Amino acid sequence: MKLEIKNLSHTYDVEVIKNINLNLTKYKSIAIIGVSGSGKSTLIRMMSGLEKPSIGEIHVNGMNVFDEEYRKSIGFVFQSHNLFPHLTLKRNISLVLEKTRGFSKEDADKTALKYLELLHLGDQVNKLPKNVSGGQAQRASIARALSINPNIIFLDEPTASLDPILTYEVLTAVEELKGLGKEFIFVTHVMSFVRDFADYVIFMDKGEIVEQGTPEIMDNPKHESFIEFMKKVK
Amino acid sequence: MNKKLSYVAAILTIVAFIVFIVLRQTSKFDINAYESYSYLITTGVKNTILVSIIALFGSLVMGFVFYLLSISKMKYFVALVDVFTEIIYGTPLLVMIIVTAFLIGPAFGSFSRNVLGVIALIIYMTPYMKNVYKSAFSSISRDQYMAMDLFRFTPFQRYRYIIIPQVVRILMPPMMNNFSLIIKGSALLNVLSFTELYYAIRVAQSQTFAFVEGYIIMWGLYLLITIPLSQATKWIERKWAI
Repeated sequence: MKLEIKNLSHTYDVEVIKNINLNLTKYKSIAIIGVSGSGKSTLIRMMSGLEKPSIGEIHVNGMNVFDEEYRKSIGFVFQSHNLFPHLTLKRNISLVLEKTRGFSKEDADKTALKYLELLHLGDQVNKLPKNVSGGQAQRASIARALSINPNIIFLDEPTASLDPILTYEVLTAVEELKGLGKEFIFVTHVMSFVRDFADYVIFMDKGEIVEQGTPEIMDNPKHESFIEFMKKVK
Repeated sequence: MNKKLSYVAAILTIVAFIVFIVLRQTSKFDINAYESYSYLITTGVKNTILVSIIALFGSLVMGFVFYLLSISKMKYFVALVDVFTEIIYGTPLLVMIIVTAFLIGPAFGSFSRNVLGVIALIIYMTPYMKNVYKSAFSSISRDQYMAMDLFRFTPFQRYRYIIIPQVVRILMPPMMNNFSLIIKGSALLNVLSFTELYYAIRVAQSQTFAFVEGYIIMWGLYLLITIPLSQATKWIERKWAI
């Protein structure tokens, strides 16, 4: 994908993103890592058009992230599954397809089932989110993100609220998606997943990009905060 | 003891207590004196239910309008709702009814006390209903709004398919509590000589002179209206629980 970030800054009460510039052209799976509060989640939300930066611009594959066309072409998986609690797993997907993507009811149902089965949830389709495990809900949320056939899928710490077993379950499911030809931008604390899945790594600290490069940079961190971080996550 | 049995035991306890109280009475207890007033009392019950339902819907609509004003970007509206709420919270319903019927109504050229009485009930319940909406809508998390934004739901679709179906379930129990308040509050409309349940019994009492009996009948009839209502609420709560 082509990812171009120009002079990006963002302030809530304090400055959480400090003048980020980035120009990547050939990577398909970009990982953003760093300690909590380093601005990763804010950055990924901005790259997906969910949050407006105070200053700066982001273009992905030539489109401004606030273009309606771009916004309809992305999938996003949140930290918590963010499924609508009053709808079954299947309806969570088919409602989106039917109302916002113009699917007929039958097609929406069929597509919902297809993606739930892809994520190994074929026997859970009529359950409410509260009646399935955290890992299953998160996989349903990935199925929902995939169902709209996005070009890029954003994952914002999709396993943050899961125990190690469920984390493994969800990340394995994501790795299986490699063959679908999608592009990914993701935030995670699971370094083994970064090594397996990313072809580019961005390390952030205090709102800035401190180091970036292919996953090999994780074996040989240069900057002090990155060295410290890699020690802790090992 | 299982749950059902516990309830049976609890009800039996209350019944036993009532029987005890009744048997302990030395003066004559004459419920039959009210037989010939059954038409009047039935009218009272009907009117109580009628005004309560009108006041319920009226305050639901007004409460929603006030909720929208309270989240408005115009600070003036937010302040207006705040001030209004403070005043109503400190106002006895009786005073509200008198002021509406004898001061506010006439100021607008209206002297229909029955209508003004219901309007007073609606005004009085509006801030309470506003709060019901407020807590219901705040139960939709920021995350959900983000998901709605992500999938590009239109504002109409957000309300129709995601927000309202959830809010209605949360709204139901406190709304029914308020309905119960309205039913009991409607008794105060008797000061406007409106023939609701309380007023009907009072009229009958003035002719039968069986005061205690009258109040007992009144009590029973209010319970007859409110208990099925609260049971229905619990049923809805169970059925629609998220």
